[in-house]
Order: sequence, then C-alpha cells, then structure tokens
Amino acid sequence: MYRVWYYPRKAVEWVLLIGVALVFVFPFLWMLLTAFKTLPEIYQFPPTLLPEQWEFGNFAKAWETGPFLTYVLNSFLVAVGILLLQFFTAVPAAYAFARYKFRGRNWLFGLTLIALMIPPQIVFLPVYVEMSHFQLVDTLWALILPYGASAFGIFLLRQSFMQVPDEVIEAARLDDASEWKIMWRIMVPMAKPVLVTFGLFSFIYHWNDYFWPLIMTNSDSVRTLPIGIWMLKASEGGKHWNMIMAGNVMLVFPILIVFFIAQRHIIRAFIYQSK
Amino acid sequence: MREPSAVAESSPVAVTQVQEQTRPWSETLRPYLYVAPALLFFALFFFYPIVYMIYLSFQDWTLLNLEEMEWVGLDNFSTLFSDPDFHLVLKNTLIYTFLTVFLGIAIAFFLALWLNRKAKIYGLVQGAIFSPHIISLVSVSMLWMWLMDPQYGLLNAMLESVGLPPSTWLADPGTALYSLVLVSVWKVVGYNTLIFIAGLQSIPQDIYESAALDRSPAWRTLYKITIPMLSPTIFFLLVINTISSFQVFDTIYIMTQGGPVNSTNMLVYYIYEQGMDFYNGGIASAASVVLLGLAGVLTLFHFLFLAKRVHYR
Amino acid sequence: MAQVSLHHVGKSFEGQKVVKGLDLVIPNGSFTVLVGPSGCGKSTTLRMIAGLENVTEGEIWIGEKKVNDVPPGKRDLAMVFQNYALYPTMSVFENIAFGLQNRGVPKQERKRLVAEIAEVVGLTPYLDRKPSQLSGGQRQRVALARAMVKKPQVFLMDEPLSNLDAKLRSQMRIELTSLHKQLGSTFIYVTHDQVEAMTMGDQIVVMNEGVIQQVASPISLYHDPENLFVAQFIGSPPMNIIHAQGTEAEHIGFRPEKVKLRSMAKEITSTAALKLEGRVITREILGSEVLYYLDTNRGRIIAKSSADEFIEEGILVELSVEEKDLYRFDKESGARVRHESIRLATGEQLGGIVS
Repeated sequence: MYRVWYYPRKAVEWVLLIGVALVFVFPFLWMLLTAFKTLPEIYQFPPTLLPEQWEFGNFAKAWETGPFLTYVLNSFLVAVGILLLQFFTAVPAAYAFARYKFRGRNWLFGLTLIALMIPPQIVFLPVYVEMSHFQLVDTLWALILPYGASAFGIFLLRQSFMQVPDEVIEAARLDDASEWKIMWRIMVPMAKPVLVTFGLFSFIYHWNDYFWPLIMTNSDSVRTLPIGIWMLKASEGGKHWNMIMAGNVMLVFPILIVFFIAQRHIIRAFIYQSK
Repeated sequence: MREPSAVAESSPVAVTQVQEQTRPWSETLRPYLYVAPALLFFALFFFYPIVYMIYLSFQDWTLLNLEEMEWVGLDNFSTLFSDPDFHLVLKNTLIYTFLTVFLGIAIAFFLALWLNRKAKIYGLVQGAIFSPHIISLVSVSMLWMWLMDPQYGLLNAMLESVGLPPSTWLADPGTALYSLVLVSVWKVVGYNTLIFIAGLQSIPQDIYESAALDRSPAWRTLYKITIPMLSPTIFFLLVINTISSFQVFDTIYIMTQGGPVNSTNMLVYYIYEQGMDFYNGGIASAASVVLLGLAGVLTLFHFLFLAKRVHYR
Repeated sequence: MAQVSLHHVGKSFEGQKVVKGLDLVIPNGSFTVLVGPSGCGKSTTLRMIAGLENVTEGEIWIGEKKVNDVPPGKRDLAMVFQNYALYPTMSVFENIAFGLQNRGVPKQERKRLVAEIAEVVGLTPYLDRKPSQLSGGQRQRVALARAMVKKPQVFLMDEPLSNLDAKLRSQMRIELTSLHKQLGSTFIYVTHDQVEAMTMGDQIVVMNEGVIQQVASPISLYHDPENLFVAQFIGSPPMNIIHAQGTEAEHIGFRPEKVKLRSMAKEITSTAALKLEGRVITREILGSEVLYYLDTNRGRIIAKSSADEFIEEGILVELSVEEKDLYRFDKESGARVRHESIRLATGEQLGGIVS
C-alpha cells in the first residue's frame, strides 16, 4: 500500500518543489532572456520564451548610454570604503564590549542595539542637511561616512569575541602582547568566519543600495551603478526593455554568481540577524 | 605548622590595600577609546540627526536655503495631520504594511514547514526562494515593471494563456498598491522562510519524539508545540518586516512615482517628495518624526518582549 | 632563577574571600605543588602570581622585586594552561615565537631559539602545523615549548596534564620532573590530584577554603599531617578516621596499610593500641595488595594488606593498629594533637568497644 503510493507522491512533490523554485528564479531568467532579444521580438504577443534571434548588442548599447565604468568604480569604492571603515570601527568596539568591564558599558551597548533596530534611512533628511553644512553633498563621502559604523557588525563580532577562551588571551598577556596586539593578532584571526559573513552582508547591502545615492548625489561622477541602471530606464523612456534588462543583468548577475558560490556564507550573514 | 581556621581572622592586616584603584588611568580609559570611533559615527549620523530632525520639525525651512529657519511650534504637525494626502499616505502605508507582513510571514511559515528537510533538493529550493532577497530593489522593480507591463508583459500573457482576464497591474489605482505588495512579498518570503527554518531547527527534536509517543496528531503538534516554540521567531519577523515595510521607497519611486493618483504614495516617499521635490522641509521632518515614532514603538515592543523571554528562561 | 614569596596575600571576588592571608615562600629552584579540592583557591593563587588576577591585599615578590603592579608579560614567568591555550590561528612555530617577538628578539635569534626548543620537546617535524592538526600530547608539548623558549625565572602550570589520557599523563609527569631537573628553574604547579602532587613535587602546599593547611615534602606530608584535612586529603585510599564520640576529646586516624586483620578464631595479641571488630563487606584486589572494606561499630574502615592471604567477604575479623601508627586530632579544630609521652592506655580507653 505505502510502497505503491510512495513514488507518485514523491513525483508530485518534486513537481511542486520545482514550481516553487521557478516562481522565484524564473523572473531572473526572463531578465536574461529579454536582454538577448531584439526590440521587435519583445513587443510580440504572446511573448517568445527563447530569443528567435540572439541579440548580443544590447549590453554594449546599454553600457554606452552613460559613464558605466565610473558607476561601477563608484559602487566598488563606496561598498569597499564602507566595509573598511566598518571593520576598523567594529573590531575595537566589539572587543571592548566583549572583553572589558567598564562604567556605562551596558548603556553604550544599548545605544548600539537601538542603531541596529532602527534603520538609518529614517534620518535621511537631517543627515542631508548635515552633509550640506559640511559641503559633502554630491561627493562619495556622503555615501560612505553615514555608514562608517555598523551596529550589526559590532553585535556579530562581539558574540564571536566572547566565545574566545579566556586562557588564550591570558597566554598572550603572559607573552607580553599588548592589548592592541591581542585584538588584531589573536582575536581578529579567530573571528575570520564571522568577518567573512559580515563582509558579504555589508558589501551586498551597499552594492545594492539605491536610496542613499539617490538622495546624496546629483552628478554622474559620483553616481553608483543602481542609479546608473535606473537612469538607463529614465532616459530611454522605458520602452527599450531589452536594453534595460541588459543593464540590470550587469547589476544582478555578479551578485547572483557570488551567491551561488558562497551560498552558505551569504545565507548565514542575512539570517544571523534573528539570533 | 599552622591551624587551618585560626589563621584567617587572627593575622594583623598590615599590608592591606585595594589594588583595583591603582590601575593606571590609561587602562581605565582604554575601553572608552575602543568604542569611541564607532560611537562617534553613530552620534554624528544617527543620534544627533534624530535630535536635529525633531528640532527641524518645529521649524519652517527649506533645503533651498538652510540659513533661514523660523520657529513655528507644532504648526508643521497640524498642517501635516490636516492634509488629506497625508491621511491617504498613512492609509496606504498601513494597508501595504499589513498585507506584506501578513502574507510574507504566512507563506513563509508554510514553506518552512515543507522545506525544512535534509535532502539536497530542499536546500536548492531554499536557495532559489532566497535569491530575490540579495538583489537590488532597483533591478527587482524594473524586472517586475516589465513582467507587469499591461500589453506585453509576461504576467498577462500567462493569465491569458490559462483563460483568465489580464490585469491592469500598476496602471490602475485599484490594483497598483496590491501589485507593489506582490513584489515585496516575492522579495521577502525567502528571507522569512530561512529565518523560520533556523527557528524550527533550534527546537529540540526530543519534544517531537515525545509528542509522537503521546500519539499527538500532526495538526495538534503544530498548534501546541511548533507555533508556541516559534513565537520568538514570529515576533522577530513581525517587527523586522513591519519596520522595513514602513520604509518602502525604492519600488514606489521606480515603479509608480506614488501614482496613479496617489494610490501608492506612502510615508517615506511622501517625506522624500515634501523635502526634496516640494521643498517643504518642515512638513517632511514632521512626517519623519511620525515614522521614527512608529519604528521606535515597535523597537521598544521588541526589546520588552526579549526581556520577558529572558525572564522566563 | 628566583624565589617567589607571598606576604599575607588575599583575594576577594565580589565580597567573597577566596584566598585568605597567604604567607608562603617558594624556594628558588623548587618544584612546588599547590594541591587541594576544587574551589580551595589554588588556581587563584597561581593566577595572582602570574598577574592575571589583581591582588586584593598583601604583596607578591619574585626575586628581589615586588610585582603587585607589574603586568603579567613583564614578570619574567611563563604559564602552561589546562587546555593549553594555544593560538589557534598561528602555526606551531608562530605559537612558540610569539612571546619572543613581543619582547623584540630579532628574527634570526627567534628562529634559532624556536628550533632549539622544538628539538628538545620533539616538535621539529610539526613546526608548520596548526594546533588543530596536532594530537593532545603534541599540543601539550607546544604549550611547554612556548613557556620554555622564554627561559623564564618561574614556570607556572595550572593542571597541565588533566586533559591527557592516563598513560600519556604518567609519561608526561616523568618528563616534567626531569625537565625541572634540567632547567633548574622554579616550578609552581597546581593540581587537584594528590597522587600527581606526591609524585612530582619536592614541596607540597595543601590548601583548603583559601587557607594553607600545610607546607611540607611529600614524605612528611604523608607521615606527619598537621591536621585532619591533610590527613584525609593525602593518601589513597584516605586515612581512616574514628570520630570522637561523647566525652572523647580526639579523633583518631590511621592509614589503611597499618591495619592488621586477624580472623576472630585466632588468638588475640594484646600489644595493639587500638582494637576493633569488623565484618568484611567487599574487597578490591589491586594485584599485589587487597583493599578490604569493613563495617565496624565505629563506622566504615578500609584496610590494605598483602594478597598473600585472602579473607572472604562476610567474615568477622579483628582489626588492630599499633600505637605508633595512630594520629590524634583535636575534636574542635581538627589540629594534630601530639602527646609528650606515648600513652599505652589508649587501647583501654577504647576497650569498651573492642569487647
């Protein structure tokens, strides 16, 4: 009885599983397929699945509509700049919160938790005003500085530092290592998996960010890739979907490829927040 | 040589000194120096702006001329709350938030129960439904605009192929808001599902084994064990999803510009329009304060809940 | 080389006194073992000497220098931890060289010193490995090498062998004692295991509840305990104690191997100072010796005798102990009571029980 039903049931479940996966993945495939179609083909109804004629020129055309090399470089500068700043601010702070007892520690850590919960977008208006006082609007600094410290990073690293056995630190003290050296030579290497996790999270988040560059920039020389892609659509009047999708492929597929390589790390990075 | 108990009390305390106080001041200062850089950033770009924003909400000002500010008390708030557009914005935000949070969590819950298995195929499907979460909202928005194109979009083609009437999607005030909900549920479901799976995996397996020995039917095990054990996860998702739904901006800005006829205008977009397009700095900051208040209350709830949970353990 | 001395050293944690007014001199070049049950303050004492804990009161001197305010790294000592505390992200070489590097020893010199030590402890083939790729015994050697390479005046060891299996442990005991002879530096060794203390130390410090109970050599600690605690803590199986009852002023103790057993059928020799009647409950055969667990009307007694002659379980026997093998302890304080003259009458004092 059970045996007889086992295989058909399994088959139905597989069909359902693949169906669910397609709901989430097929749009990306559609993006890719559209990017290879000619303009007349995308305006056929009903639409074709595979391009009748593979058009590779959309990517080049999209690339030439604006200074995309600058956008890509800016995106990198911003994401890497933020990551470096966050690393150098989070490590000492997490070390202090994890390893020292000092007056006001819980209070200061509470402030960090508030910054973790309330997203910085809420205060974009006063930060914009602040930036214009410093004459930093429309510079890369306006994109980097507001994210200079990551509450999430501090939180994550603190957890990891707290798990280091006391004896290892004591051994280092007996070896006459300074606190600074213990932090960078002993603790940071031990927290490497957590640092990779956090680095992926931060990089992806800021690579994707659209809101902040939209608010803070208005000239091509400091715009990032998401803004560039959006401008592609705005300037084309929204009709050349094949070219627009080609542009989006440039923004999306690097991240998707990284995701499929480092899936476990990335999922852990994003899921960690709940713990 | 010596007697055990007598020694402790009897000896004269000649060399008593409290060593803690002789710690050099540089050591006392050290932790503060370590947290200083991070906290300086928080202070400059988070805490000070919050205070400044509250201050700005009592001023009449515009981004065009920051030198001129005029104290107007609560005028901005009364203007804001008497603006019928703002009422609509609040209503849209609440409908959008409720639907996104409810659907996003409910669908994810059932997906998690289904996909929480060891075999490789389940891991692959988990990865697939999570993938939209790491994609820029810019691309997600444009992709869905194209899918939802009323004439040439894939969605209408699929509807027609199974004999259903096509939808107007983003083009009609009646359907635009729900289309945005669809997009954000699609993006967030994978994240919620994986959080749920992490929650499910942290439930000790022996509870299920003893429930099975007690002949508890599957639905009762779900209702009496799984859901109560997942309540911290559910609560976390409620707070996180609600706060992020309140903040919806990118999809509106790219897909609808708040239209048609304000049907998709929501809080952050309203703040953006007031501040950056209409140069009503005062109104924009007053609306920001309202948003901050909402997020603050939710955060407070979350912390209180966490504190209570710790208490129970 | 240096002598370590503690002058009235005390330590409190949140109002709780864990170490109380210690006065202790650890002679230069000695192998001193701090031993006691868990929570007796032995580890805290070691950590205060290392500088890892602040001293709440009193002074600690290493050599000619008061070290209360000297940070751990500047006290010229090295420590081996129970769980080895190796730096997991560094290779064996880097682990050993880390302390030298912090002291500013030049690179060539570091390489030479590490190679030298690695040869001594047999780690030369493993210098490029990470600690996670080593066995427990090899990690132990890395920890030792890391301490030795600094050529410190004082070695501190906090239960360094307790994570090893029994066989490796006894092997390492021998290696450590011979290492001590080779180096001639001061060793301070903490353990809860009295066998380890007896086999390794030349001076043993027995501690209980934050107070030193006795400082002595292994032999005199065994044969001449100062108080009831030491008497019961040192020796395995522990000393038998007949607790004072009624008007008796003293507890009486004796070692298991000093108990003579005779079957009740045989004639009683009367020179013994203590006689008891008991029944064999169980026995443990250790090989050349047998442990008998006996029930008497003064409580459970353990006796050890040679395996030449067995006594069956359930047999009623007579136990006797010579006067010279009896220890007397004050009923109130537990302190050893030494009588000026040997009182032969003791046997009669307990005569009522013996029948």
